[in-house]
Amino acid sequence: MTNEPVLQINHLQKKFGHFEALKNITFDVHAGEVFGFIGPNGAGKSTTIRVLLGLIRATDGNATIFGQDVWSNSVAIHRRLAYVPGDVYLWPNLTGGEIIDLLLKMNDTQHSSRTDELIKQFGLDPTKKARTYSKGNRQKVALIAAFSQDADFYIFDEPTSGLDPLNERQFQMAVLNLKQQGKAVLLSSHILSEVERMCDRIAIIREGTIIETGSLAEMRHLTRTVINVTLKTPLDLTQLAGVHNVEAGQHPNEWQFSVEAKSLPAVMAALTEHHIMALQSTPPTLEDLFMHYYTTEKE
Amino acid sequence: MTTHFSRTGRLTGLALRRDRFKILIWILVLAGLMVGVAYKFTDIFGTQHEIAAIKDTLKSPAMVALLGAFKFTNNPSTAQIFSTEMVVFMAIAQIIMNIMLGIHATRGEEDQGITELVRSRAVGQLAPLSAAALELVIVNAIIAVIYGAGLGLSGMHGITTAGNWAVGIGLATVSLVFGLLGLVAAQLADHSASATGLTYGLFGLAYIVRMITDVQDPDYTWWSPLGWVEKISPYYHLNWLPIVLSLVTAIILFVLAASINLRRDLNAGALATRPGRRTASSFLRGPASLLWRREHNVIIGWIIGIAVLGMTYGSIYNTVGDMLKTNPTMQQVFGANVLHEANHAMLVNFTSTLVVLMAAVAAIPGIQLVYKLYSDETNGWLESLYARPLSRTRLFFSYVITGLLSSLVTFVGAISSLIFVGNATLDHPKDGLTMFEFWQSVWGQLPAILVFIGIAATIIGWWPRIRSLNWLYLGLGFITIYMGGMLKLPKWAQHLSPLGWMNKVPTHDVEWTNFSWMLALSVALILLGWWGYRRRDLHMS
Repeated sequence: MTNEPVLQINHLQKKFGHFEALKNITFDVHAGEVFGFIGPNGAGKSTTIRVLLGLIRATDGNATIFGQDVWSNSVAIHRRLAYVPGDVYLWPNLTGGEIIDLLLKMNDTQHSSRTDELIKQFGLDPTKKARTYSKGNRQKVALIAAFSQDADFYIFDEPTSGLDPLNERQFQMAVLNLKQQGKAVLLSSHILSEVERMCDRIAIIREGTIIETGSLAEMRHLTRTVINVTLKTPLDLTQLAGVHNVEAGQHPNEWQFSVEAKSLPAVMAALTEHHIMALQSTPPTLEDLFMHYYTTEKE
Repeated sequence: MTTHFSRTGRLTGLALRRDRFKILIWILVLAGLMVGVAYKFTDIFGTQHEIAAIKDTLKSPAMVALLGAFKFTNNPSTAQIFSTEMVVFMAIAQIIMNIMLGIHATRGEEDQGITELVRSRAVGQLAPLSAAALELVIVNAIIAVIYGAGLGLSGMHGITTAGNWAVGIGLATVSLVFGLLGLVAAQLADHSASATGLTYGLFGLAYIVRMITDVQDPDYTWWSPLGWVEKISPYYHLNWLPIVLSLVTAIILFVLAASINLRRDLNAGALATRPGRRTASSFLRGPASLLWRREHNVIIGWIIGIAVLGMTYGSIYNTVGDMLKTNPTMQQVFGANVLHEANHAMLVNFTSTLVVLMAAVAAIPGIQLVYKLYSDETNGWLESLYARPLSRTRLFFSYVITGLLSSLVTFVGAISSLIFVGNATLDHPKDGLTMFEFWQSVWGQLPAILVFIGIAATIIGWWPRIRSLNWLYLGLGFITIYMGGMLKLPKWAQHLSPLGWMNKVPTHDVEWTNFSWMLALSVALILLGWWGYRRRDLHMS
C-alpha cells in the first residue's frame, strides 16, 4: 500500500476533434512528495489536470488516483482530494466566507479553527461578496478551502500567479507542511524558482508530451554547468571535448565556458594541469533547463 | 465633454458585430411575423362578414385585457383589425429584445470584465453606454424600416403609408424606451441578473397598468408607456404624439443613465452592496442549496410576478363574465339560467386562453435554471464543485429538479391567483369556475411545461450550443396557439409545440392518454440529458 503511487498516469492522450492536446503523458506521484509539473502556456498542464479531476475524458491511456480510475470513480477519489484551479471563478453574489464553508461541507468537513487561522494568515476579508475580490483574493478563497481540508492528495494549478510575495510564502510553508505530514502534492507552475525550492521531482511537458521526469539533481546531468576559471598558464579551451560558449574574461587567462556533465572530469583534469587560481561553478538552474528544452529542441 | 464619448462609433460597430446573430434572428422572427401576418391578413379578414364577426370579439373585455383597447370605425378595415390584434403583442416581443440586448451590452460586459479592458484604452467614460444605446437605436430603426416598407408591400386592405410608418416607428420608439430603462437599471444594480430583474419588474408594472386601464377606462392608458403603442391608432385617427412622447422619454432616460454612469465606479452599482455573512448558514451545504442561495430572488420574482399577472387578469373576471354589458336584452329574452351559463362559458373561454399564456411563461424559469447548469460550467464555477466528491448525476438533478419545481410552483400559483381572485370578484359567484375546472386547467398544460424542460435537459446533456432553439420553439409554439384563432392558423400549426398537443383547458376535458405519454416523454428527455451529461467533456473557460 505504501509503495503504490498516489497518482499514476500511463500514456494519457486527449484529442479535441483533430487537435491532440495531450499526446503522451506518463508520470507518477507518491505519498510524501511534492511533484512539480512545468511547461509553457498551452503545453497541456491544465488539460492533464482536468482529466485527472474527471472533468474531461481521456481519449486513450489511463490515469488512476488512489488506485481508482479518474473518470469512473471521480466521486470516491474527490473525497480525499483537494484542488485549487489556476483561474478561480467564484459565485459573484456569495461572500468568500460562505464559499469556503460550502466547499468544505461538500467534503463533509466543517469550518475549523484551522480555517480561521488560514483566513488570518492569508489576510482575507471573508465578509465581502466574491464579485468584489481581486484575482489574488479569489485564489486565497480556494487555497484556504484546500488547506483546511484533510485530504491525501493536493493538486495546485498555478496557485500563486495572483498572490503577493508574503502570501506566496504562506503558500510555500503550507505546502511543505503537507509534505511533512506525508501527503502527495501535484504543483503545476511556471514560477520556476518556486518549483525549484519546493519540488522533489519534476515533469516537464511540451506540446502535450512529457519530455523529462526526475529530480532536479538528475536533470542537471542532462545539461551544462557554467564555469568561470582563472588559470596561471594559457590553455586553448576550445580544443577540449564537451566545452561550449568559450568567452575570455577581463583578466588574462580568465575564461568563462559551459561544459557538458559527462565531460566534466576530463575538463577538470585539464584545468588542474594549468594551475587553477580561481574557480566558480554555477549549476544550471531550472530556468536554464527550461530554456534548454524549449529553445534548443524546438526545431 | 466630447471626450466622454470618444470611440463611441467604433464600440457601436463592435457591439453590432458581437450581437450580429442574435440581432439577425430577432429581426427575422419579428419582421417575419409582422409582415407575414399582414400579407395573409386580407385572406383572413377580408370580407365585411369576417370583419363583423371579429369586431365584437375584439371589443369584449377579455380581448381588451389581452390585446388592448382600440378604437375603430363602425365598418373597420382589415388594417384596423390587424393593428388591434398585433400592435401590443409585437411591442412586447420587441421590448424583450431591447431589454436583453441593452443589459447584455452594458452590465453584462462589465460583469465579464470586458468594459474594464475597453476603458483602459483611449475610450470615453460614456462610450460603452452610448454604444449600447446606439446599438439599440440602430436595431430598432432597421426593424422600423422593415415594418414600414413591409406593411406597404403587404397589400392589406385599408393601409395608409403614414399608418404603416407610424406602426414601424411607434413600435421602435416605445421599445427603445424600455431598452433605455434597462440601461438605467444597469447603472443602478451591480450585476446583470439584478438589472434584468429590475427592468422586467418595471415592464411588468407597465403591462399591468395598461391592462387595468384598458379594461376600466382607456383614457388612463396614457400612464403606461406600453399603452402608448395603442394610442398611435395608425389606421383610424393617426396620432404622432405617442411617438414624440416616447422619444422624449428615451432621451431623458439616456441622460439619466449617463449621469449615473459618470458618478459611479466601474464594476460597482449605484446601489451599494452590503457586506455579507462571515460564515455560511447551515442550510447552505450542497449544489441544490447553493443554486437556491444564488437564484432564490429570481425564482421568487417569477413566482410573485406571474401570480400578480394572474390576479390582474382575475380582477377583470366580473367584467368579462357579464354578457349583459354587451347584450343588455339577453336576460329578458333567454332568462337568468341561460344568462348565467353564457357568463360561465365566457369565463371558461377567457381562462383557457390565459392558461396557455401562463404555461408558456411558467416554462421560462424552469428552462433558465436548467440552462444555468451550462452557463455555470462555462463561467468556471462548476470546476471547484467538481473537484469535490460530487457526482454529475447529483449536480444535474439538482438543477433539473429546481427548475421543474420553480416552473411548477409558478404555474400553479398563476392559475390559482387567476381563478380564485377572479371568482372572488364576481357579482354572481355561481358564474365562476369550479374546482374541477381549476384542476383541469392545471393538468391540461402541466405536461407541456415538463416537455419543454425535458428538451432543455437533453440539450444541456448533448448539444448545449443549440439552446436558443428551445426558446425559439417555445416562442413560436406560444404564438401559434395564442394567435392561432385570431390568425385562423391551420390545425397542424397549432399542434407544432407541446402547448398544442392537448385539448384547450378548461373548455375541454383533459385527455389523459396524451397526458400520460407527454409525461413519459419528458421523463425520457430528462434521462436522455442525464445520460449525455455524464458522458460529455465539461467546457471550462
